[in-house]
Amino acid sequence: MDINEIKKLIKIVENSKISDFSISEGDLKIKISKNGKITQNFTELPGKETVIHQVSAQPVISNKDTENETNHNKSNANSNIHVVTSPIVGTFYRAPAPDADPYVKVGDTVSVGSVLCIVEAMKLMNEIESDIDGKIVKILVDNETPVEFNQPLFEIEKS
Amino acid sequence: MFKKILIANRGEIALRIIRTCKELEIPTVAVYSEADKDSLHVIFADEAVCIGPAQSKESYLKIPSIIAAAEVTGADAIHPGYGFLAENAEFSEICDNSNIKFIGPSPDMINRMGDKALAKKTMQKVGVPVVPGSEGALKNIDEAKSIAKKIGYPIMLKASAGGGGKGMRIVWKEEELEKAYQNASAEAEAAFNNGEMYLEKFVENPHHVEIQIMGDSFGNVYQYGERDCTIQRRHQKLIEETPSPFITEETRKKMAEAAILGAKSVNYQGAGTVEFLVDKNQNFYFIEMNTRIQVEHPISEMVNNVDLIKQQIIVAAGKKITEIPNKQVGHCFEFRINAEDPENNFRPTPGKINYLHFPGGFGVRIDSHIYNQYTVQPYYDSLIAKMIVWGSNRNHAIARAKRAFEEFAIEGIKTTIPFHMEVLGNEKFLNAQYDTSFIDKHFLK
Repeated sequence: MDINEIKKLIKIVENSKISDFSISEGDLKIKISKNGKITQNFTELPGKETVIHQVSAQPVISNKDTENETNHNKSNANSNIHVVTSPIVGTFYRAPAPDADPYVKVGDTVSVGSVLCIVEAMKLMNEIESDIDGKIVKILVDNETPVEFNQPLFEIEKS
Repeated sequence: MFKKILIANRGEIALRIIRTCKELEIPTVAVYSEADKDSLHVIFADEAVCIGPAQSKESYLKIPSIIAAAEVTGADAIHPGYGFLAENAEFSEICDNSNIKFIGPSPDMINRMGDKALAKKTMQKVGVPVVPGSEGALKNIDEAKSIAKKIGYPIMLKASAGGGGKGMRIVWKEEELEKAYQNASAEAEAAFNNGEMYLEKFVENPHHVEIQIMGDSFGNVYQYGERDCTIQRRHQKLIEETPSPFITEETRKKMAEAAILGAKSVNYQGAGTVEFLVDKNQNFYFIEMNTRIQVEHPISEMVNNVDLIKQQIIVAAGKKITEIPNKQVGHCFEFRINAEDPENNFRPTPGKINYLHFPGGFGVRIDSHIYNQYTVQPYYDSLIAKMIVWGSNRNHAIARAKRAFEEFAIEGIKTTIPFHMEVLGNEKFLNAQYDTSFIDKHFLK
């Protein structure tokens, strides 16, 4: 079972009336319980990182993008705009170094995996990558300002 | 003093800490998960930073997020409250390394007292009485068997890294030992990532009496009297009172001396609680020391007229303790009000509070983060309010508590208020004839 199949499984349980669900395949055993109680029993498959998100009232927040209902597409009649939010707390930097060019400008085309910015926390520089292909429409945060968890950073027009 | 304090917690204790900081005129930073965006501690703090999604593991327990929040806001101290990272040695160390003052003990002290088996050994060395049992952690089940045989059943298996009642099992006879050991160890492994166990004589129907202490960096250690926390359900405290109606004046004096002796022997700094079990013959035994501010700290504050959070901050800033205890005055109860249904096995009852009225009047203190129309979240513990009642003696405090509960209205969710009112009408409770079996005996549903 790969990570996408596991994600599909979580989505199915989340949208159903099932409250307890378990499945095992080889070395991997997954148990999903609703209402905030999760038991996880799994052995890591060699060479793969298995990440399991909790099923909860909040939609699953993965590392880069968000399908959160509170996202800012509300104000946008154009549902083609995708908002990239910060997955961590830290300081937002537009460029890899103070004298370097910014990673992206408004109008730039980006693809999945393109580095958009850095959010620095505890002296570690975390590169934030785009999770879609598209064009940078808006940069929502000034350089060197603090950002909090899930704070919107970029608006990208999907291509 | 500090120029800005970040509170690495939520709910009523976050609010409690913010209040003292405001009185000291120290700016505050609240951190919150997305589920807590409408929480009072977020509103009352000077600044607030969202640090993660609802799940504690991704927010209140996520050390990098909390340190980052301190960095971006310029906080130079962090108060961890209770629970969460309050007794996390790694967090204490990372604060040190990040030049942020952790308002709590050093990583070393956390480890020494957090390891229950080691703490017992440390106290025993300076002559503090301890419950007979294993010398530190058990190597295996066979060692458990032989020690149990020597001190005699019943015995209690406890997790070295344990707390909140997890990883504990009572064993009445040898045949039950192996299974109990395996279960307790597995539970501890799951809850604390550490399945190490130790063993003690099980003191039947004891009183659970703890002493509040505070130490500063000048070697001063003071004790603020005891708290009797015997009324528990599944090892979770429900009602606490001071002074203990059970111990004699002589026992009180000896326990206070033992607590100070123990704390001084490790050069303890900050707020701490030394926990004892007292048997029906007034023998008392050290069981553990908590190196944090505790939920029930307000009852000690009321009878001593002190602000313990303020003393924690003062000590952390390297100053001498200013509120030195003298003689405790009056009697004080704390009733923990949880979002739980006492008629359905205390099942948690998160949801929206659609009507709220707090009691008031002389001697009634409410420490709570709830407000009218607030939604109690399902992700965190169920404590929603503490009602702290002071009276000039025990009977007066009881009469006042009864009166206060009659004014207390929380509607929209079930709470344990009716349960407390029942306890206040119970003859055994009124006559202070209770032990740790009280809830099970009289309120088992």
